[in-house]
Amino acid sequence: MTLVREARYRLMKDLVLPAALRAREGRRRARKADPLFGPPLKSGAELKRIMARHYALARYAKGARPVAYVTSGAPVELLRPLGFYTLYPENHSALCGARKVGDRMALHAEARGFSPDLCSYARIDLGHAFSGESPAGELPPPDLLFCTTNICQTVMYWFKALAHHHRVPLVVLDTPYLHGGREEGPALRYFRDQMVEAVPRLERVACRDFEEGRFLAALESSRRASLLWGKVLETLKARPAPLTIFDAFVHLMPVVSLRGLPVCERYYEGLLAEAEERVRRGVAAVPGERFRLLWDNIAIWFALGSLARLFARAGAVPVAATYTHAWAETVQDLEETDPFDGLAKAYGRIFLNRDLAHRRDLLLTLAREYGVHGVVFHSARSCKPYSIGQYDMRGALEAQLPLRTVVLEADMADGRVWSEAQAETRLQAFFESLER
Amino acid sequence: MSRRAYAEAQRAAGRLVAAVLPARYPPEVLWAHDVVPVEVWDPPAPAEVAGAHLPPMVCSVVRRGLALLSASPPVDLLLFPHTCDSLQNLSTLLPDLLGERRPCLFFYPPRGPAGDCGRAFLLEEVRSLFRNLDAVAGEPPPHRLREAVRWARERDEALRGLYDARARGQLDAPAEEFYRAVRRTEYLWPEEASEELLAFRRERAGRRPAGVPLVLSGVLPAPMDFLRRLDERGLAVVEDDFLGLGRRFPRRAPDLPDDPLEAAAGRLLALPPCPTQGAPHSSRLAFLEELARRSSARAVVFLALKFCEPELFDIPFLAEGLRERGLPALVLETEPGGETPAALLTRLEAFVESLP
Ligand code: SF4
Ligand code: SF4
Repeated sequence: MTLVREARYRLMKDLVLPAALRAREGRRRARKADPLFGPPLKSGAELKRIMARHYALARYAKGARPVAYVTSGAPVELLRPLGFYTLYPENHSALCGARKVGDRMALHAEARGFSPDLCSYARIDLGHAFSGESPAGELPPPDLLFCTTNICQTVMYWFKALAHHHRVPLVVLDTPYLHGGREEGPALRYFRDQMVEAVPRLERVACRDFEEGRFLAALESSRRASLLWGKVLETLKARPAPLTIFDAFVHLMPVVSLRGLPVCERYYEGLLAEAEERVRRGVAAVPGERFRLLWDNIAIWFALGSLARLFARAGAVPVAATYTHAWAETVQDLEETDPFDGLAKAYGRIFLNRDLAHRRDLLLTLAREYGVHGVVFHSARSCKPYSIGQYDMRGALEAQLPLRTVVLEADMADGRVWSEAQAETRLQAFFESLER
Repeated sequence: MSRRAYAEAQRAAGRLVAAVLPARYPPEVLWAHDVVPVEVWDPPAPAEVAGAHLPPMVCSVVRRGLALLSASPPVDLLLFPHTCDSLQNLSTLLPDLLGERRPCLFFYPPRGPAGDCGRAFLLEEVRSLFRNLDAVAGEPPPHRLREAVRWARERDEALRGLYDARARGQLDAPAEEFYRAVRRTEYLWPEEASEELLAFRRERAGRRPAGVPLVLSGVLPAPMDFLRRLDERGLAVVEDDFLGLGRRFPRRAPDLPDDPLEAAAGRLLALPPCPTQGAPHSSRLAFLEELARRSSARAVVFLALKFCEPELFDIPFLAEGLRERGLPALVLETEPGGETPAALLTRLEAFVESLP
């Protein structure tokens, strides 16, 4: 890390980028209010600023900070004390999906022989690695790949391919799947021990010692951010809901990508205050809220806006989601006295690493707590771990609660498999069934 | 005798039968409990039956597995090695949402490089499977596990011998017959399996049939019809890196600890590199190169099974890496069952013609 690069990084971080982003905001014209929705969240502007700065600053990180590409479920708190600049390929792929360039980017990977049936997040990201294209501008190549299999095994195959392409070290933290009937102790111990075993490798890449004090501070910051995020989600229990799950999908970004950093905590303090204020004032995210819905699976990023309008027209408000909930579900586990134990539990017990009986119970709990009338299952074509089991989950939920359910066949980021007209027909029929 | 008939006969003889999903598990632990593992890879069950439960992007191994297990096969318990996301979900879908009542056991082979904690966890998994089988099948007599470890060693030796003979050109067996014989190890009791393998090697000792020597890689040599087509075209399969075959026995006799459970875990650690356990491209490339070198193969053909993520993610860089090392590689998308599509055969022919 040269001094010049360090100085340039600091200058960009503290002075140039904040000023540039403020100037850009000043030039941006206010959007026309959409009568289908309540007033937009003020925190949206802050979110844009934070994420734009995060991606813009990444360009200057190379040489000033070690750069790590990290999976969304990885215990990033281990990297914070070592000063890694962290980028989340899943988050970046979601961004590409939302900007409707996912299909084009995936083609770069497909041209290199990667099957179009593979996870679209992975294809988009590999497409980025091969082409350098990104709607977020130029991103630095990694010095380290940091992967945890608690969300799926796919990330391991994907990060292995990245490691081969970039010729950089890959650290895989393996998190055995937790079946209800099995004792979880050995699996969590194994996960914990791998984290301890990984620290010297991380130190070598970062050329820096792992300071316990900074680690504990990151852990605490992470815990607070997740708690705040959980409280934001709880405000959606209010009727009318102050924001929708479609909003939450977007506002989830900092807790995924900036966990363990003060900026993340600050952001959620602001968002929570705003959401609570809206509840107090009875501000509805969707005026005329009629039906409350639960969403299962990742967002359909490229159709988020059109779906939000379609739902709002029917007075249907998604108020809870297994996906958004994942970043708050196990936060209490971080309170363990041994920080490594805490991390192992908090990250090892996330619902994607647990059996379908747990998922069914989670869905039932959310359905009850948020008073929902129906469940939308997004069957994401290229995400197997999240989608296999949904067909039978419908029956399991309908048997226990008076709910209507629908399956939307789509994908999180690859728009080529999406038929807007078909989805609309299916959703209209679903909304009609909610009237009965 | 079909797998089903064999399973029925074994049950009639007083053994329990376990349906075992792919791919890596310690068979010694089952044998010690007098449980016959009958592996479920590509049963002739109609994959469409699974359509009501599985979304379209799931591989045919899982689809056929679900179809078979839903049709009440003659098995007493189910074992799910945790091989990939799809099998992981199947292992919970059946008992948790589809009401499977037979005991369902799980086995999690650790991923990534086998550091100290990976080794310790693997041993713990082997022990835990042993205990769980005690609960299902009763505790075996003390010497039985040691005996089972010996059976595994003998079966591995028989497989190695057969593979070595083929690689050296000393086996006069077309691909279809070779794989029919070897795939019987997926369900035969180990002593029978070893005997059959040794007999096959003796009976087929001779010169390799003339033909362009190839290494195959993928999940399975499927469809079987594809092997017949290779034989007809004078193409000789001389080695394989199949998840279900060449990657499931140690290629060199490992030095195993004396403790039988540790030996069972040690055997798993000695298996060739596999993407399902996160083996890096470098070790897989080295393994493929070694297979080609020892068998004088002229090319590697990947049989890419649709929707199989562990394989599909690796193939592009493996094919590229082999080509860079001067070993031609071809990727063909295949599905088990049925006839080999004509277009696929045309591509294969064109590839073989282009070989230097
Ligand atoms: S989208 Fe699904 S398959 Fe892809 S990385 Fe996420 S959890 Fe894994
Ligand atoms: S995805 Fe691949 S590894 Fe998994 S069951 Fe199917 S064929 Fe086997």
